[in-house]
Amino acid sequence: MATVTNWIEHLSAEEVQGAIYPGVGSEGVLVILGFIIWIGWHVLAARQESEKLSQLARRRPGANDWKNNVTDG
Amino acid sequence: MTDELGALTTIFTEFYYWITVVLMFLIHVGFCMYEVGASRYKHHQHTLMKNTMLIPLVTVTWFLFGWWIYWAFPTGPGLAPSIMNESAALITDDSAFSASWYVPTSDLMAVNLGDHISGVFWAAFLLFSWTAASIVSGAVIERITTFAFGILAIAIGSVFWTIDAAWGWHFDGWMLKILGYHDAYASGVIHAIAGGFALGILVVLGPRIGKFSSSGEPRNIGPRNPWLVTIGLFLIYTGFWGFYAACNIPIFDLGPEYGMEGVTFFTATNIYVTPTTLSGITFNFLMSLSGGLLAGYIVSKGDPFWTYSSGLAGIICASAGNDLYHPIQSMIIGMIGVVIAYKMHYWVERKFKIDDAVGAVAVHGYAGFVGLVICGFVLNGYPSSGYSVGAMWDGTTYAAINPLGMFIGAIIMFFVLGMIPGYIIAKILHGMGKLRIPREAELAGLDYEIMEAAKEDEKSVASASR
Repeated sequence: MATVTNWIEHLSAEEVQGAIYPGVGSEGVLVILGFIIWIGWHVLAARQESEKLSQLARRRPGANDWKNNVTDG
Repeated sequence: MTDELGALTTIFTEFYYWITVVLMFLIHVGFCMYEVGASRYKHHQHTLMKNTMLIPLVTVTWFLFGWWIYWAFPTGPGLAPSIMNESAALITDDSAFSASWYVPTSDLMAVNLGDHISGVFWAAFLLFSWTAASIVSGAVIERITTFAFGILAIAIGSVFWTIDAAWGWHFDGWMLKILGYHDAYASGVIHAIAGGFALGILVVLGPRIGKFSSSGEPRNIGPRNPWLVTIGLFLIYTGFWGFYAACNIPIFDLGPEYGMEGVTFFTATNIYVTPTTLSGITFNFLMSLSGGLLAGYIVSKGDPFWTYSSGLAGIICASAGNDLYHPIQSMIIGMIGVVIAYKMHYWVERKFKIDDAVGAVAVHGYAGFVGLVICGFVLNGYPSSGYSVGAMWDGTTYAAINPLGMFIGAIIMFFVLGMIPGYIIAKILHGMGKLRIPREAELAGLDYEIMEAAKEDEKSVASASR
């Protein structure tokens, strides 16, 4: 996985390779993973939010009931 | 980097943009404080969370496709040929600064010893993206779902503002060539578009419960914490310094760039690679801020919320031409923008029953729009690009700055890329039942259950003896 194992050899090469992150060449897989994480987050977060909002809507607290929940420190 | 001058220039430029990113972070801190200050107690935590989550959402999508759009779309596509490959197609070939450099799989989008600029430049633009999305965030507080806001934030932050930047900000943008568009510090490319986008959403989203009486008279739901609003806006002013600096290229030798044989002229430039100075824009930033504050104080009769916002609106209005204006011009333009934005806000509110909770459409949208139009008159005849002279172009390819071109540019920013997409996406989300929170939750307060849990925790801790 390591792209560089010896800095002196790396920097004194005739043509210095710029990319030094682990797994050079695997960018495609990483980007696909990025897309999956991004879309997956929306799915999970939307589900959580819908549940929370429905639960609150079912309880129907009054417009001033939140004042009973103010903590005093 | 093997020669010392080249290395110093490159590393100075890298560090310069890096600092702008740090400064611009304060814009987001300011927006968060401002929104919490403007929202009611029962919605505070969700208001904050909504604005916070745009950071990762816009960042990830900016990495995945937003940055690519900026480099691919300057030609339209199909509206004007690129100066790099003379084609009007998307710029995705192997030419210099092609979007192919900035696909997310590119090795330039990572730690790369051969590239010290891509990451900091990417990040500077990303912070503009956060700003665009954050402007929208304030307008829709207390009734939009976090899910819907996330989608809308990505749309404005990683798609639509990116397209407008490609068209009207990129040195190869078709709006420069055909319209003579000039927008040095983003009156239009950030502010008018974000204000227009917010307005499009607000039309569909509707007002907060209680904002309008049964007879349609607007009620004031003023800021609950004016101090937080004040600090928030002062932080936005502070971050705006970074924003201005990030719109410049700090050091550039224009002689060879313009093809002027034997000429060396090192200077800072604006984003269009035409000369300006950090010193000059410092005059104009402060004078337009001052003009905005002076006008805002008078027009709002000393209302703190509007006076502070007007400082920002003053800068925004003058930003299109603040690379070239005289400081007094900047001040007057800032004042004009504030008066129009303030009057427009209340007219639109009454006429169309639009509830813009923080005045974002006015401060960013109307002031930005007006700033573009004024710029067309005041800078009429200036070159819109350095490349209109010299070796790369024959002097006819880029139109000069002109009133009509700037007016059309303002329409494109506010309506075409702002309000219309915002309206359509909000309509789709509304159709899915995902745009607005349930009425019961809005009345109870989005934080009701968090506060209830905190109260229970407090009780159990208070009754504990060990």
